[in-house]
Amino acid sequence: MTLTAFPPPPPGADYDDLRQEVRAFLAEELAGFPPEKRAESWNGFSRAFSRKLAQRGWVGMTFPREYGGHARSALERYVVSEELLAAGAPVISHWIADRQSGPLILAKGTEEQKRAIVPRIAAGELCFCIGMSEPDSGSDLAATRTVATEVEGGFRVNGTKVWTTYAHVADYMILFCRTGKSDDRHGGMSQFLIDLKATENIQISPIIDLGGEHHFNQVIFDDTFLPSDALLGEKGEGWSQVMSELAFERSGPERFLSSFALIEELIRVLRQDATEAQQAEIGRLSAHLMVLRQMSRSVAGMLNEGKNPALQAAIVKDLGALYEQDIPRLARSLVSRPAVPGGRDSYAAVLAYTELAVPSFSLRGGTREILRGIIARGLGLR
Amino acid sequence: MESMIHDMAERLFRDHIGHGLREGAAAGQCPEALWTRIEEAGLPMALVPEEAGGFGVPAAEALGLVRIAGAHGLPLPLAETLIANAVLARAGLTLPGGRLTIAEGAALRLDRRGAAIHASGPLTLVPFARWADRIVTIAALDGVDHVLSLPVKDLTVTPAQDLAGMPRDDAGVDLALTDADAAPLPRSLGGMRGLGALARSLATAGAMETILSMTVEYANDRVQFGRPIGKFQAIQHYLATMAGETAASRAAAEMAADSYDTPAFALTVAAAKSRSGEAAETVGALAHQVHGAIGYTQEHALHHFTKRIWSWRDEFGTELDWTRELGRAALSSPRDTFWHFITDSTAQGIPA
Repeated sequence: MTLTAFPPPPPGADYDDLRQEVRAFLAEELAGFPPEKRAESWNGFSRAFSRKLAQRGWVGMTFPREYGGHARSALERYVVSEELLAAGAPVISHWIADRQSGPLILAKGTEEQKRAIVPRIAAGELCFCIGMSEPDSGSDLAATRTVATEVEGGFRVNGTKVWTTYAHVADYMILFCRTGKSDDRHGGMSQFLIDLKATENIQISPIIDLGGEHHFNQVIFDDTFLPSDALLGEKGEGWSQVMSELAFERSGPERFLSSFALIEELIRVLRQDATEAQQAEIGRLSAHLMVLRQMSRSVAGMLNEGKNPALQAAIVKDLGALYEQDIPRLARSLVSRPAVPGGRDSYAAVLAYTELAVPSFSLRGGTREILRGIIARGLGLR
Repeated sequence: MESMIHDMAERLFRDHIGHGLREGAAAGQCPEALWTRIEEAGLPMALVPEEAGGFGVPAAEALGLVRIAGAHGLPLPLAETLIANAVLARAGLTLPGGRLTIAEGAALRLDRRGAAIHASGPLTLVPFARWADRIVTIAALDGVDHVLSLPVKDLTVTPAQDLAGMPRDDAGVDLALTDADAAPLPRSLGGMRGLGALARSLATAGAMETILSMTVEYANDRVQFGRPIGKFQAIQHYLATMAGETAASRAAAEMAADSYDTPAFALTVAAAKSRSGEAAETVGALAHQVHGAIGYTQEHALHHFTKRIWSWRDEFGTELDWTRELGRAALSSPRDTFWHFITDSTAQGIPA
């Protein structure tokens, strides 16, 4: 049963020297960065931080050198990613581009697109957002209605995207939309590379989340003109292009480390004297984390070998979200301290932030229900 | 992983283990003929170093046999014999051949009496003791771990069994051992509890893979309300959950197997045993839920696998034992942060 086999990462995947370098860098860069900011995990935004990281060669690590990358392995990139997340570094400015948009452009883009964009991603200069969900197309991505109509010299786009994370600051969007009709529900879709700073008739407005934060946006395309060279990959191949990104998107350490700041706070509080029952719960939490990390690194190993472990990635994300979401409950079962948003006690502040964040973890990047449907099909349920 | 010994074991178990053999074993009949085939194939020597008569395959590959045996519900002490032979070889003792088993020896008392070592005390819930020729255990003498090879015929064996009807016998020890049967363990392999826990995690992962594929097949075949029940989203989500837990158990067990005989083993085996034990609860419950009443019968094969994974949860350290151990290590770690503890505990070559 290959679906449930996650081969151990190759020997030497620890890259201890690299890990120590990243730790030293983070200790310096994030000195005094408070726990409640670290709790934002990969939603924290800092262009300055992303650029500094890139100067160290830790953005676009797996990209070829000729496009400004560093030709390192997916497992080396993994080490850097997990160290950033564990420290709660503000990484979102480069995260999407580094994780999936850059690899997508490298795989499907034209030479001009690669030369124009990829080196700037590797320099930590570009923030990407992903235009996928719509008001009537959430989990059902094939119900996408936004349409790009071919006109002289390019396309006219009409439609609305929602939940577009960081569209308000992003430099580029990878837009997924319809470009034609097809009998196949998944046909007639394409992807576009949109320069958000240089394209007119795009209206971006905030959607504030229940924690009062502005991450999401609504993006309206109103007869927006895109030049022909904005098309990314093949016209009509958008669906399969999106599917090939999913293994990158769903298997990384961000799928189980989003609540990690709370775990560190919890351990700090319990460290002095823990009862046996508390020790056991921390042991259980440790076991789950060690195993999730093993599975996620295994997928990185498979990606490194050029495989497409989309099903294994769905499993990692499903298990990872359950884990991340369970941390506030676990903290409450072990420590009696109320959650206080912005409280002076860092445990209380981090608990409050995490509590409000966790419902999104099984929604973003593929809902739990969608993932389980994918896994069930992979099992051979007819 | 392509492996000749795995293919050989798959074939052997597929051809020779069926519902009848498992039923017979649960009723107390040792499947002798099957053991002969296993020995002829050389499987019990797979974890022994080449210079001591093994095949020279990596330990993780040899240990993969335990997962495969679990997947077929093998009612014989293959895992125990593999480990016993590896421990005997490490201590430089003779490999006696035959069926061996392992036991935690913490309750044994060892004293020197002249040239001999006298061992006394109880061994409890020893897997397959009454079907084994020898019990291999580890106990301390003057603060030094010693490996003991105890002939079952010289012990007082009281039969008992686990949830799946497999022998889990008590053995009273009171005998003098020469240096042919007792020797210091020069470098620990992780103790009998850790080695047994590793075996049970691997077997659990294998059994879960079988349970999962049986349940998928049943969901595709069983028609209710005019369609296979596997068409219902509720059932699909149960199966997806089972797949996640099964995959986690296998990854956990293989992580521990991969760190066999390294400093990382102590903590990876704690993670593996507790994670697979926890998964046994979910996987067993959902498999029975999907199978409905037929899966709750003696006639159906499912119970041979679910009862095994439930039994194995409690053997060689319960989940509570292992999570406490791991939690104590995490909370008392000298590392700066919990994260450093996690990365170091699985890293190769860094002292635990």
